[in-house]
Amino acid sequence: MNKIGGYFGKILAVDLTSGQAKPVEFEPGFALQYIGGRGFGAKLLFDQLKKHDFQIDPLSPENVLTISPGPLAGTYMPASGKTSFVSLSPATGIYGDSSMGGSFGVELRQAGYDALALYGKAAELSYLWIDNDKVRIVPAPELKGKTVLETEGMLRQKTQDQGLKIITIGPAGENQVVFACITGDWGRNAGRCGIGAVMGSKNLKAIAVRGTRDLPVADLPRLVKASNEGFALLAQHPMFEFWQNQGLMSVIDYINNVGVMPSYNFKDAYFDRAEKINGYTMEDHYKIGNTACFACPMCCGNICLVKQGEYSGTVVEGPEYETACIFGSNLGVDNFAFILKANQLCDELGIDTISTGNLIGAVIEGYQEGILDLDDTDGEVLGWGDEKAIISLMEKISKKQGLGEILAGGSKKLIAEFPKLSNLISQVKGLEQSAYDGRVAMTMALSYATSDIGAHHTRAWPIAFELEAGKNWTMEKKVDLVVYHQTIRPLFDMLGVCRLAWIELGFPEQFYETAYQAVTGVNYSLKDLLERSHRVYDLTRLIISRRGIGRKDDYPPERCFIQPVLSGPHAGKKLDRAAYEQMLDLYYQKRGWTQDGMVSAEREKEFLSEPGII
Amino acid sequence: MKLTVIPERCSGCRLCELACSIKKFGVVNPKKAGVHVMVVYPAPVIRMPIFCHQCKDPKCAENCPVDAIACEDGVVKINEKECIGCEQCIISCPFGSIFTHEDMEAPFKCDLCGGEPECAKVCPTKALIYVPKHLLGQAHRMENVLKYAHMKQVEYFEKGEKKIIHYTETEKKDNNSRKE
Repeated sequence: MNKIGGYFGKILAVDLTSGQAKPVEFEPGFALQYIGGRGFGAKLLFDQLKKHDFQIDPLSPENVLTISPGPLAGTYMPASGKTSFVSLSPATGIYGDSSMGGSFGVELRQAGYDALALYGKAAELSYLWIDNDKVRIVPAPELKGKTVLETEGMLRQKTQDQGLKIITIGPAGENQVVFACITGDWGRNAGRCGIGAVMGSKNLKAIAVRGTRDLPVADLPRLVKASNEGFALLAQHPMFEFWQNQGLMSVIDYINNVGVMPSYNFKDAYFDRAEKINGYTMEDHYKIGNTACFACPMCCGNICLVKQGEYSGTVVEGPEYETACIFGSNLGVDNFAFILKANQLCDELGIDTISTGNLIGAVIEGYQEGILDLDDTDGEVLGWGDEKAIISLMEKISKKQGLGEILAGGSKKLIAEFPKLSNLISQVKGLEQSAYDGRVAMTMALSYATSDIGAHHTRAWPIAFELEAGKNWTMEKKVDLVVYHQTIRPLFDMLGVCRLAWIELGFPEQFYETAYQAVTGVNYSLKDLLERSHRVYDLTRLIISRRGIGRKDDYPPERCFIQPVLSGPHAGKKLDRAAYEQMLDLYYQKRGWTQDGMVSAEREKEFLSEPGII
Repeated sequence: MKLTVIPERCSGCRLCELACSIKKFGVVNPKKAGVHVMVVYPAPVIRMPIFCHQCKDPKCAENCPVDAIACEDGVVKINEKECIGCEQCIISCPFGSIFTHEDMEAPFKCDLCGGEPECAKVCPTKALIYVPKHLLGQAHRMENVLKYAHMKQVEYFEKGEKKIIHYTETEKKDNNSRKE
């Protein structure tokens, strides 16, 4: 396939069971319809599920893990370093995806592949080594139990190539903790949905890539012109420098001041000691450097070092907002050095900070409320801000010991073991909630509830819009905003670019149309692209409904309805159930789904009749 | 003018590599560039673009067996027609700033884009800068001076905003020495 630019026309399909790797060519129609990234991943997952009548255990060899960057990844345009990881999630049992920045995806593309699809299971712990056309599955029992950093170091030494781009799982991924992540470039994570556990279930410890090919771009002068304008636009933004200095940590103060910052396991939405864990604290005492994903001028990554005290010597790429909040205010912690330690530990063990912090928060609250006793907590007293207990729980999770074994199964297992915790753990569809309160803005509650992976903010983040301007919005306007977010934000994941330039520094949407056209030579308008993203949302909905999801699962965490916010500007607020039901009705209507949350019969037929790609 | 780097500022985004590949070779391929960002993590944490320093006494030229490398107007250039592809220059360079790629006949390196280096233009953190030679080392000189002066500070308010002014005092002789 070489009729359109932007693609190599090849997916590298690896069967770890047989040890065979072969590049599979695809038709231009596939690229035109699914664009790349999450789109490719969703289609490949759907194909695999269809083959197995939608009955696949996420941690079995039948599951597929796809890694796909997207046609704009690695091209000369701002923030084009994103790669989507798609698989059936062991945390939720449904469609799962997570995206990673850094430069792994770009390197994969330079090796000549638009995507990588991993099937089967290796006989023993191995790593995959892709050197352009040369693909090898190398047994590596010596990597067993190694942390993320150790693994990267050992692989560089073994291959004698410092420039390799490597993604790896930590001990938690090997042990199939259902919120294990995949880490690249030492600290960039595809954190959510337990993608790392899927990799672990395949006995695959790491993937190392070296690629040297030119990236295909149809109209380079047009891309360069547009991108140079884009770079200039970003650099002129009044917040640009501030963003470079603090990255996502800059939002702590904002989120707390508007009263949506989770604290004490989402019981409250305001933290009275936020200044101790905010971006300025980081800048003044801990930050030692900036780091950026590929081709990104915004360099939102912070590198921090603890210079004194108990956690002295802790170096970590991070934290970003979610981690600082989930391990800070949400666990009643106001010690920034501890947040860095927790972040580093999560990165080394290979567990998702959001899920980990949520689950630990729930058991602390459970213990405090008397739902859990010392027998349940391995004799450990669990209190808010108890740093030692938190670290001990993290280690137990990664090794699946004691209470850690239950937590390693995620919210679903936690609720199964301790049903009384079901109202304390903030989750949707089994995925723990990101660090924005769900009670204050209806749009955010709907976003969490209808996100195809569970309670994550990546699909839609309308909270700031509603808080700033949405006081008198009609319900229709709110629903429209959620649907629009759920369409444009996944589009970024399909194109292989980061949404932050758009959401944080007001990068114009029209730019992505120009960049897509320049790279591919295909004259799709933004509207055409959004339609395709919309359709992929239908596809993921079909996948999750075939896995048992329906209207019953499209609700925000129960706490949102039953317990009002305790303090801050929104004290006393909770969600109105009747209003939410009404909103959900309207949402389904807008999406063209049935009132049970199913895609239309025509759409279903359309997807089922489409031929498979691999 | 001199192309130089302040590694502490580098974020490792590799836009310099991309811009170079586009300008020099007309392709999007960070592997075909006269600049390459090296990363070391976590001990120490460092990101640093490697590129040709246009040495006055270039080791690459010295070790080229066919004299294919020469300095013209302050820019060290490889004559591709003369080059026999022995790649001695790559290992001779003390900075490792000559590169090779399987698509290329000859090794390649930074040529300062004819006096307007694209990498410095695009660098979003101003880690790569193209400055007049006499300014080299200025930042260190300044830093040294500021460290030497044992700075004291006074806080004051201007239009309600807290500000800090740094100052240093001239040496005061104590009473005994004044008597002398």
